[in-house]
Amino acid sequence: MSYFLSLLISGISIGFVYGLIALGFVIIFKATKVVNFTHAAIALLGAYVVARTHQSLGFWLALVAGISAAVLMNYLIDVLVLRNARRPDPATLSIITIGLDILLGAELRRQIGFQALGLGDPWGTGVIHVGDSFIPQTRLAAAVIAAMIIVWFAAVFRFSNWGVAMRAASEDPEAAALMGVRLRRVSIAAWGVAGALATVAGVFFLTFPGGGVTNLAELAILGAFPAAIIGGLDSTGGAVAGGLLVGLTVTFAAGYQNEIAFLGRGVHEAAPFILMFVVLLVRPTGLFGTKELHRV
Amino acid sequence: MDATVVADRRTMIAGEASAETAMPERDIALLVRDLRVSYGGAVKALDGVNLEVPQGSVVAVLGNNGAGKSTLLRSISGTLSMQGGRIAEGDVTFDGKSLNGLDPAEIVRAGVVQVPEGRRIFGELTVEENLRVASLATDERSKRTAARERVYDLFPRLAERRGQRGGLLSGGEQQMLAIGRALMTSPRLLLLDEPSLGLAPNLVGHIADVVKDINRQGISVLIVEQDAAMALDIAERAYVLEVGRVAIEGSSQELANSPEIHDSYLGRRQPAEPVSEARVETTREVRELRIEDLSVRFGGVAALSNVSFAVEPGTIHAVIGPNGAGKSTLINVLTGVYSANKGRVHFGADELTAMRSHEIGSMGVSRTFQNIALSAGASVAENLMLGRHRLSRSGFIAAGFRMPWVMREQRDHRSRVEEIAELVGLGDLIDEKAGLLPYGHQKLVELGRALCAEPNLLLLDEPVAGMSATESAEMASIIRRVQGEFGISVVVIEHNMPFVMGMAKRVTVLDFGRLIANGTPYEVQRDPDVIKAYLGGSEDRGIRDALEREERNQ
Repeated sequence: MSYFLSLLISGISIGFVYGLIALGFVIIFKATKVVNFTHAAIALLGAYVVARTHQSLGFWLALVAGISAAVLMNYLIDVLVLRNARRPDPATLSIITIGLDILLGAELRRQIGFQALGLGDPWGTGVIHVGDSFIPQTRLAAAVIAAMIIVWFAAVFRFSNWGVAMRAASEDPEAAALMGVRLRRVSIAAWGVAGALATVAGVFFLTFPGGGVTNLAELAILGAFPAAIIGGLDSTGGAVAGGLLVGLTVTFAAGYQNEIAFLGRGVHEAAPFILMFVVLLVRPTGLFGTKELHRV
Repeated sequence: MDATVVADRRTMIAGEASAETAMPERDIALLVRDLRVSYGGAVKALDGVNLEVPQGSVVAVLGNNGAGKSTLLRSISGTLSMQGGRIAEGDVTFDGKSLNGLDPAEIVRAGVVQVPEGRRIFGELTVEENLRVASLATDERSKRTAARERVYDLFPRLAERRGQRGGLLSGGEQQMLAIGRALMTSPRLLLLDEPSLGLAPNLVGHIADVVKDINRQGISVLIVEQDAAMALDIAERAYVLEVGRVAIEGSSQELANSPEIHDSYLGRRQPAEPVSEARVETTREVRELRIEDLSVRFGGVAALSNVSFAVEPGTIHAVIGPNGAGKSTLINVLTGVYSANKGRVHFGADELTAMRSHEIGSMGVSRTFQNIALSAGASVAENLMLGRHRLSRSGFIAAGFRMPWVMREQRDHRSRVEEIAELVGLGDLIDEKAGLLPYGHQKLVELGRALCAEPNLLLLDEPVAGMSATESAEMASIIRRVQGEFGISVVVIEHNMPFVMGMAKRVTVLDFGRLIANGTPYEVQRDPDVIKAYLGGSEDRGIRDALEREERNQ
C-alpha cells in the first residue's frame, strides 16, 4: 500500500512538471498557432545552462541564467527566424521549428558529450520515507513550485490585461489587431513565458532522480508533448491535466514494470505515447481542446 | 460597366451637387488618394479609388459584392496584409498623417478603428473582457473608464450581460458588442463593415440610430453597407463602388433620388416574372415532399414545433421567417444533418427522417449552404465535378490507372459540368479558382454544384443573403431558369420576403419554430400574423421583441 502511495505522490509531482512543459507548448500554440517542436530542446538548453553555471553562480542565480538563456533563444527564434519566413502560415512555421530542434538538439548533445551534469539544486538527493518506500525531496519541491506557478499563471491569464489580450488574440488574431492588440508583442511574450516555464520544468525533470543533464535528456523531456496533445493543444487547463495523466501513467508503468513485463521491458518510456494514441482515438481534439465548430 | 457611362453619371451627379448644396468647409479627417490594391499580386481589387471623410461626418460606401468595399476598409485599418493583399499605389492619410504600412494596432492608436464584417466578437471572452481588450489601446485609466461608461450608456443591454460570454449573445447583441468594443478604443474615426448584415429589420433601425448617436458625439463614421436605404439614411455623402472604382459619388439625398441608384441599390426588388404553369416534362422522378408534424428540440429550446406542410412536385416553394425562426433547422433535418425529435418527412414513398445524410443525398436531394462551403483552392469546374461524385461509377483503382472507360466517364461529366456552368452564368469563369471569385459568384458555384448532382429536390439556404438588389434579381432569374429547365422541386429558405414573393408558387412562414402561415404569396402577404412577425409593433417594443426572439431561438 505504501508503495502504491509513494508512486501516486511521485506520479502527481512529476505530472506537474510535465504540465509545466506542456503549458509552455500550449501558450505558444494559442498565441501563434505554431506547434513548437523546439520546446523540448529549449527545456534542455535552460537546464544545461543551469548545470554549467551553478558551481560558479550558485543554484538560484544559475536558474536565472538558465531562464534568460531559454527566453533569449525563444526570442531569437520568434523574431529572427519565424517572423522572416517567406510563407508565414502556421504549418510552415511549425516545420521550421523541427529543423531548429534538430540543430539545437545536436549542438546541445555535442556540448554535453558523455557526461551526466548535476544541477546543484538545494534539495540534493534527500528522500522522505512513506512506510517502507520513499519519495525524493526534489519531487515534492517540484510539485509545490510547479503548482504555484500554474495557479499564478492561470490567474494572470484570466485577470491581467496581458492575459485578456492573449486570449483575444488566440481566438481571432485579426479582430484582436483591429481592436489595437499588438500581435507581435503577444507573440514575443508567449515565446518568452514558454522559455521560462520550460527551464524550470527542465531542471526539476532532470535533477535527482532524473539522471542529470545527459545527451539522452531531450528524449525524456519529449514525453511532455503527449501531455499537451492529450489535454488538447489549445487548452491551458488541459495541459496541466494532460501532464498529470502522463506523470501518473509513466510512474505507475515504471513502478509496476515487473507486473506488466508481458508488454515488454521499458514500456513506461513509451507509455505517454500509448496514452496519447488511446485518448486521440476517443477524443480527436484531446480532453479539453476546442472542436472547430461550423455552422451549416 | 462601360467607362463612358460611368463618366456620364459622375458628371450628372457632381453637377447637381455643386448647384444644390454647398457643403460647409470642414477639415478632412480621412483622405484616400488614388488607392490601388491587389491580392496575391494579381487580382486588382481597387483600381484608383479617391474618397474623403470630412471631420465629424458620416460617409457611406455602397456597392455589390466584390466591388472592393471590404478591401477599402482593410486598406485603411491595416489588415490588408493578413488577407494577402498589398497597396500597390496611392495612400491613406488620417489627420494629415499617412497610415500606409502601419501595423493595425498603431492605426487604432492613431484614432481609426474598424468594426469588422460579421461582428467577430471574442466568443470565449465575457462582454466585459471583450470591451477590456479594446480599451488597452488607451493608456490613461480615466479615459478607459469614461469610454466604458459611454458604451454601457449607449447599450444598456450590454451592461445587463457584462458577465456573459460573448458567444452566448444573440446576433443583435453581438453587433452591439462589436460596435461598443470598437468605441472602447476612443476612436476619432469609426469604420463600420456591414453592420446590418443578418439582422431583423427593427434591429437594423436601432443600429442606425446608434450610429447617428455616435456621430453626434463627434466621431466621424465611414460605413460600408449592403442595405443602401439604411446607409443613405444616416450618411451625408455616399460613394458607390463598382469593380474597384468609384462609379458615383454625391450627397446622400442626391443619390437616394437618382433613379439609377434607386433601381440597382434601393430597388424595391423588382417583382419577379410570374411563374409559368407549363412544366417541362422530364425523365426525372419528381416526387412530393411532405413534412408531417415535425418537431426539433435543442436542449430545452424548441427550434421547430409541430410543423406540417407539403411541397408540390415541380414547383418553387419558399420557407420564410425572421432570423432564428427555425428555417436552417428545417433544411438540416431535410438533409439528415439533424434528427427530428418527433414527426416525419416523406419524399414520395421514402421517409427521409429515417435515413442518413449520404443516403438522402443519393435520393437526389441536393442543397446549398447559407455560409459558402466551397473548396477555395480548386477551380470552379473542380468544385462542380464534386457535385457529380454520386453519379460516378468508376472505382478508385480503375480511376488510379486511368482506364479508358473511366476517361470516357470523366469526359461526359466534364461536358455536363460545362453545360450547368453555362446555365448558372459561370461559363466564362469555369477555370478560375473558386476562392478568388467575388461572393455573388461563389454563391452561384454552390448552386451549380448542387445542380451537378442532378437532383430532383433542390434546397437553397438563403441564396441571396448579403447580396445587393441587382445580384438578387439575377439570382432569382437563374433559380427560375434552372427550375424550368430541370422541372424539379425547389425549396428556397429566405428571410428576405420580397425576393421570394414573385418567384415561389407557395410560401410557408415560420416564426418561433411554428408554422404561422402557408399559402400562395398573395395570401401570405396579407396574413396578419405574418405582418406582425415581420414588422413588429411599435419600434421600441420591436427591438425588445426581436432580441427576445433571437434569444429564445438560440
